[in-house]
Amino acid sequence: MTATLGKTIKEFLRQKTILFWTIAWPILWVLIGSFSFTGNAPSEVVPYIKGAVAISMSVFALMTAGMANLPGNIAQDRERGLLSKLMSMPINPWRDLVGRILALLAFSSLAAILVMLVGYICGARFSYTLIGIWQSIGFLLLISLASAGIGMLLGTFIKHVHGAIMSGVGMAVVTAAISGVMAPYSSLPWLLQEFAKIYPISSANSSIAYLLVGEYYAGYNPLSAAQTTLTIIISLLLFIAGLIAYSRFCWRKE
Amino acid sequence: MDAISVEDLTKKYGDNKVLNGVNLKIEEGEFYALMGPNGSGKTTLASIIASVRSPTSGKVEIHGRKPEKAKELIGYIPQENFSSPILTGKENLMYFAGLLGYSKNKAERIVDDLLSKIGLSEDANKKVSNYSGGMRKRLEAATALFPRIKILILDEPTTGLDPSARRKFLGLIEELRGKKTTILLITHIGADAELASRVGLIDKGEIIAEDEPEKLKKASGLKDVIDIETTIKSDKVANVLSKFSEKQRVLETDVGYRVYCKDAEESIPEIVRFLDAIGCKTTKVETEKPSLEDVFFQLTEKMVREVS
Repeated sequence: MTATLGKTIKEFLRQKTILFWTIAWPILWVLIGSFSFTGNAPSEVVPYIKGAVAISMSVFALMTAGMANLPGNIAQDRERGLLSKLMSMPINPWRDLVGRILALLAFSSLAAILVMLVGYICGARFSYTLIGIWQSIGFLLLISLASAGIGMLLGTFIKHVHGAIMSGVGMAVVTAAISGVMAPYSSLPWLLQEFAKIYPISSANSSIAYLLVGEYYAGYNPLSAAQTTLTIIISLLLFIAGLIAYSRFCWRKE
Repeated sequence: MDAISVEDLTKKYGDNKVLNGVNLKIEEGEFYALMGPNGSGKTTLASIIASVRSPTSGKVEIHGRKPEKAKELIGYIPQENFSSPILTGKENLMYFAGLLGYSKNKAERIVDDLLSKIGLSEDANKKVSNYSGGMRKRLEAATALFPRIKILILDEPTTGLDPSARRKFLGLIEELRGKKTTILLITHIGADAELASRVGLIDKGEIIAEDEPEKLKKASGLKDVIDIETTIKSDKVANVLSKFSEKQRVLETDVGYRVYCKDAEESIPEIVRFLDAIGCKTTKVETEKPSLEDVFFQLTEKMVREVS
């Protein structure tokens, strides 16, 4: 497990495209969002708008890591014959999987922290309580798990490396755009607002925004018991579906 | 007890029968080469022995155990370059040591020893993307040389290597002989198979002949092989040559033809004269001893394009 963790995290940290799309790209949008889209806003709310932008871009970093980097890593290992090699060795697929997920969580956390830090340097401010921070970390974990679940499904069923990565990037960008991660929830049409509540990544994003910058920036109260339960259940279902697909199909003997 | 025992093994993909009742026994410490053309089923057989694929029917045993229960004994090197190009050589081996459950200190010791054995100590901290094809193949072979591994399964390890890298790699394999390591080499290169103590020739999912390399050559009845380089290659030239060749089989090569005859000395002047008569100049004529590829060709009429 630690062997897979070490190998995967080194691979994440040494690939320029991964670093660009998961860390540099969200940071770029934090910079653009912080300095370009706050011109007409009252000065007292600007730090919180910047805070909401930093949260959204941290969420986007987690989405890219789970939905594009993880399937890319799985597809790469399969394409170059490493999975065949591993199948011939006395290794439990679940331990390999846990190693990959831990590497993803470590790398995602690093990306999210860097994005938030840049946001903070750019003037983002948050109104939070200690419990709110812990709850937010919980929601960030749910986002990572849901993204990893989608990523494992993509990595299992899309055989080619570029196909898996591009599908993941596409999935992250499109779903972030239509579910209120990249655009304010209030600006979405009715149908997409409903989707934003079902899609666990956007509802978790709204929950974090609600906890750290206030309801106005979340657009609705995503912390109702029903909504939070739905977010947790769908996140876990996506993650479990990904786990089952990976362990059954990627390690299946022909 | 046999290191590898395969009984009546079949493998089907839909209606396509890739292995057709293969029987194979390899003793402990033996160097066995399985030689055949692309699509003959040799990679499928190797991957079933390595527990990567499952058979449709039949039995495989590794030291008397099912392959999936004997994984710790097997070092399988698939055809593809499976090492991570963005990790260093040492990091790659440390990864495999970790997977095999070695503690960090023990892994360090074993990996340093392996790197020295494969001649990559000086390049250990270079990224694999900076390695040559031969260096990468040697690194990957090292993943099958960890202690406890008793059976080495190498699937076409020298394909794509330049002659020098190929020699170095085969030298590494030669060093393992006599160390109780059983080696199963999958190849389509006759010269590689010649190194083995026993060779099996596989075609259409069946082992069609099996023996020591020299005995296989002797049993084929081939005496002399004339390697001819010609200015032109055509059906007409091949037809002329086939009259001099055993069973009228002529093998087309990159630069000419290989003709199988009983007495090369007697045939060569005749061949040159006949080729001259149809306007085909011979640029080089050499007599050689038959190779395992020639034996395979005689048995199957295959391997490279046949001209009749």
